[in-house]
Amino acid sequence: MDIKAVSAQIDADIQEINSLEALEQFRLKYLGRKGLVAELTSAIPGLPQEERARFGQEVNALKNKLLSLIAEKQKTLAGSSGQAAQAAGDLGMPGISQSLGQLHPLTQVTDEICAIFNRMGFSIVEGPEIESEYNNFTGLNIPLEHPSREAFDTFYLKNYTKMLLRSHTSPVQVRQMKEQKPPLAIVVPGRVYRPDAVDAAHSFMFHQIEGFMVDTGIKFSDLKGILEMFAQAVFGNDIKMRFRPHFFPFTEPSAEVDISCIICKGKGCSVCGRKGWLEILGSGMIHPNVFKHVGIDADKYTGFAFGLGIERIAMLKYGINDIRLFFENDLRFLRQF
Amino acid sequence: MKVTYNWLKEFVDIKIPAKELADKLTMAGLEVVSLEEKAGDFVLEIEITSNRPDWLSVLGVAREVAAITRRELKAKNPKPETKIAKGNLRIEIENKKDCFLYTARIIRGIKVGPSPEWLRKRLELVGCRSVNNIVDITNYALLESGEPLHAFDLDKLNPEKIVVRRAKAGEKITTLDGQARNLNNNVLVIADKAKAVAIAGVMGGQETEVTLDTRNILLEAAVFDPIVVRRCRQALGLQSESSYRFERGVDLGMVEQTSLRAAQLIREYCFTQGVFFNSSGLAKCKERSVKLDTARAAEVLGVTIAPAKIKQALSRLGFVIKQKAKNILDVGVPSFRQDVKLEVDLIEELARIFGYERIPVSLPAVKPQVTANAKRALTSAIKEILVGLGLSEVITYSLTDKLTLNSLGFGLGVQPIEILNPLSQEQEVLRPTLIPGLGRAVSLNFNQKQEYVAIFEVSNIFLGENKPQEELTLGIALSGTKSFLLEQGLVKDEAGFLNLKGIVETIFARLGISGYTLNNQGSSAEIRIQNEKVGLMLSLSPQSLNKLNIKNKNVFMLELSLDKILSFTRRDKKFIPLPRYPGIARDISFILKEGFSVQAILVLLKETGRPLLSEVRITDYYKGRQIPVGYRGLTLSCFYSSNERTLAENEIQPTHELLCAELVRKFGVKLR
Repeated sequence: MDIKAVSAQIDADIQEINSLEALEQFRLKYLGRKGLVAELTSAIPGLPQEERARFGQEVNALKNKLLSLIAEKQKTLAGSSGQAAQAAGDLGMPGISQSLGQLHPLTQVTDEICAIFNRMGFSIVEGPEIESEYNNFTGLNIPLEHPSREAFDTFYLKNYTKMLLRSHTSPVQVRQMKEQKPPLAIVVPGRVYRPDAVDAAHSFMFHQIEGFMVDTGIKFSDLKGILEMFAQAVFGNDIKMRFRPHFFPFTEPSAEVDISCIICKGKGCSVCGRKGWLEILGSGMIHPNVFKHVGIDADKYTGFAFGLGIERIAMLKYGINDIRLFFENDLRFLRQF
Repeated sequence: MKVTYNWLKEFVDIKIPAKELADKLTMAGLEVVSLEEKAGDFVLEIEITSNRPDWLSVLGVAREVAAITRRELKAKNPKPETKIAKGNLRIEIENKKDCFLYTARIIRGIKVGPSPEWLRKRLELVGCRSVNNIVDITNYALLESGEPLHAFDLDKLNPEKIVVRRAKAGEKITTLDGQARNLNNNVLVIADKAKAVAIAGVMGGQETEVTLDTRNILLEAAVFDPIVVRRCRQALGLQSESSYRFERGVDLGMVEQTSLRAAQLIREYCFTQGVFFNSSGLAKCKERSVKLDTARAAEVLGVTIAPAKIKQALSRLGFVIKQKAKNILDVGVPSFRQDVKLEVDLIEELARIFGYERIPVSLPAVKPQVTANAKRALTSAIKEILVGLGLSEVITYSLTDKLTLNSLGFGLGVQPIEILNPLSQEQEVLRPTLIPGLGRAVSLNFNQKQEYVAIFEVSNIFLGENKPQEELTLGIALSGTKSFLLEQGLVKDEAGFLNLKGIVETIFARLGISGYTLNNQGSSAEIRIQNEKVGLMLSLSPQSLNKLNIKNKNVFMLELSLDKILSFTRRDKKFIPLPRYPGIARDISFILKEGFSVQAILVLLKETGRPLLSEVRITDYYKGRQIPVGYRGLTLSCFYSSNERTLAENEIQPTHELLCAELVRKFGVKLR
């Protein structure tokens, strides 16, 4: 057979091909099991000895030429036609996706605050909601029969004496300071309970975050520094802060902390009661009597503590005006966060 | 508490406007919650913290103003009486622990009538109703000094003696507010020879009230035990300006002076013929001092305050300073500062007067501990998975009522922990399960026209067998129909047990929990790991749905103890090399009679197919026209592979045929 004629035929055939199907037909015709190349190859043994080598080389060259032609054609065909990119169609139609759920806004705020303190080196610890009267009051230097307890009206358990639902997260301070030795840097998120009649501003169940740090040489100025970083991380760098003297039985000196109103920027509005300031947390240097209760040497160590209400922060942050919304669990509310 | 700007000015020269004064007071710890201009004066309403009873007086606030504005306090020293009347009144204090000091001033020949204009006006400015000149003067002296006074009509008393004693069982008194009150041994009373005439420190009796006809009075100034007054107030549900101050602690040092101040005003405005005075108890309290190390103050505050300023600030606040050594002061504590007991109390005083705002900002060197909180990490991993699966987190109340628990069938067998002092029935018990709270949230959302509700909560449940226990628990509720709008149109997925199971599988897979079983018990299924019950899946009963007011919907719930699954989690991952040789997939389609478990089929196939069968999955499931009633159609996909070579079709053929045969033999399936 005239290899040259075959080669010319191949050149002509390949020009005609304009689809992948036709290319496959072409491949089968020449390179298939019963294709031309196979036929030529099977003819080799029948050739005279002196022609075999030359003919074999020619068939091989033909085969290589076919392979490269096919590969080349494949590239041009894939580039030009075959699977065209799909038209975008009506993009007004709803997108198809899995819908995500969402964390409760109180969880989101708690996580955010915990993460801020975590980055500053505080560990996150939790404690039980059912507490002893000792951890909730006595150990925190709150005398049992004193007006300072009025701020902490408390649910007591019926069949267990001196057991109660913690009215703040501070009992975890007592637990942790008994369990571990300084240095301590801990934040405690958790649920707390107070028998308050429920209205837009009050709930008998709410959430707090407690934080404290104990070491040698901890100063009131450190408390200011840590809380300033915290407030800026939550409410932005423009926020102003002020520390006002206050009274808490478990800290001395004690301070209440206000931030400049995030709504009116300190000019005075209905949210801040025209004061320009919003009270966000209570804090102070841990009272030596608390150290005495937990067996920490108050001459050697000092520490600060602070506590804040998560609902309060969430309400300010998101502009929520009724605390009951957090516990109603209306999906129309939850899905906004 | 309310004070006025002009009233304060009687005690200290104020050179700053009322607004500035209010701001300074707020920043010194006397939070001014309102400032109002009224009748040519300014009324400041101040929130006084419970540790500072001395601020519950104009004098106390003025002392603070003097310290923060660096001025001197002008003391009012009332003149003693000149006309002394003869008299004979015994004072008996039954228990000196109940009453530290009792003084009585008998003032004769007075004229009761309306108060002078200035007095009425001033009282009204601070929210005190004018009654008559005598009562108004006692109130005025109280507001000015913080020491409560009470005036009795002397002629309605048995004038022989005054007794401060506990009430007798069955004793009665009608208080000034017109209420008849039954007394008991916990109540401290002021009595004459015959009967109780006042509740000590709380309120006087109506019988001995000063009226327009009163000619002679007994003016009481005393100090009662704070706890006794507090218990009386709580027991009788009766609060007054007096009890408020006694509970917080009244200054022993002001008693006689206040009585004298009132007597002087009575002389001025009510006419007096003569006065007789007697008292019993401690004349003054023990002198105390507290050591102050100014270097320590600097250490605690993070700022050094000049020694001269320290001394000046403390003196203006009424402390008496003696320098003991370099940096060491001996600070004498005045009787009105019972709250100052330790050095830190003085340090707070310094900080207040120096100004918290002037203390610098610093950052402590934190020595971090890196121990992770395993439970918190688990909780947050689970929450993230659930949010990814499209569930919304809810937070429901930990307290609930017994009736709901019982009516939903969860009160049985569990004795919930009861609350001693709930405000309402909804706070009767601590919940032993999350299910009722989730049920209510589902119901609320269906009422708001939601089509599909998928919610979860992670919080404690409370169990109280021997001692109260908390168990961190995950609760899930699924209900309704979820709609997906796909290219081929609307697809609806009605929530069911398998949706719940899918969530459990996903959680367990991500947490590395294996070897769990779901124990079908009809409308519920127990979740067990290594034979320990860790949770429950259930479908709410029609009765429960009815109670929750949920109509035409099933609600599927899960409760899973996170405390229990914590020890089964394996979050450390190990890489398994990817398969080196391609495998072959073969499907088997068949119909299966209802009643056989697919789980058993999968177990059988996995065992029979060894070693070539590496995976078998259910890839289709159908019921419908082509399937006879009582059967379901299933398609399994079997995947064969080897780690040593590429398998050939004929190699897997015998295994695949064996699997088909076993399905027919053991489960009577009909291959399709």
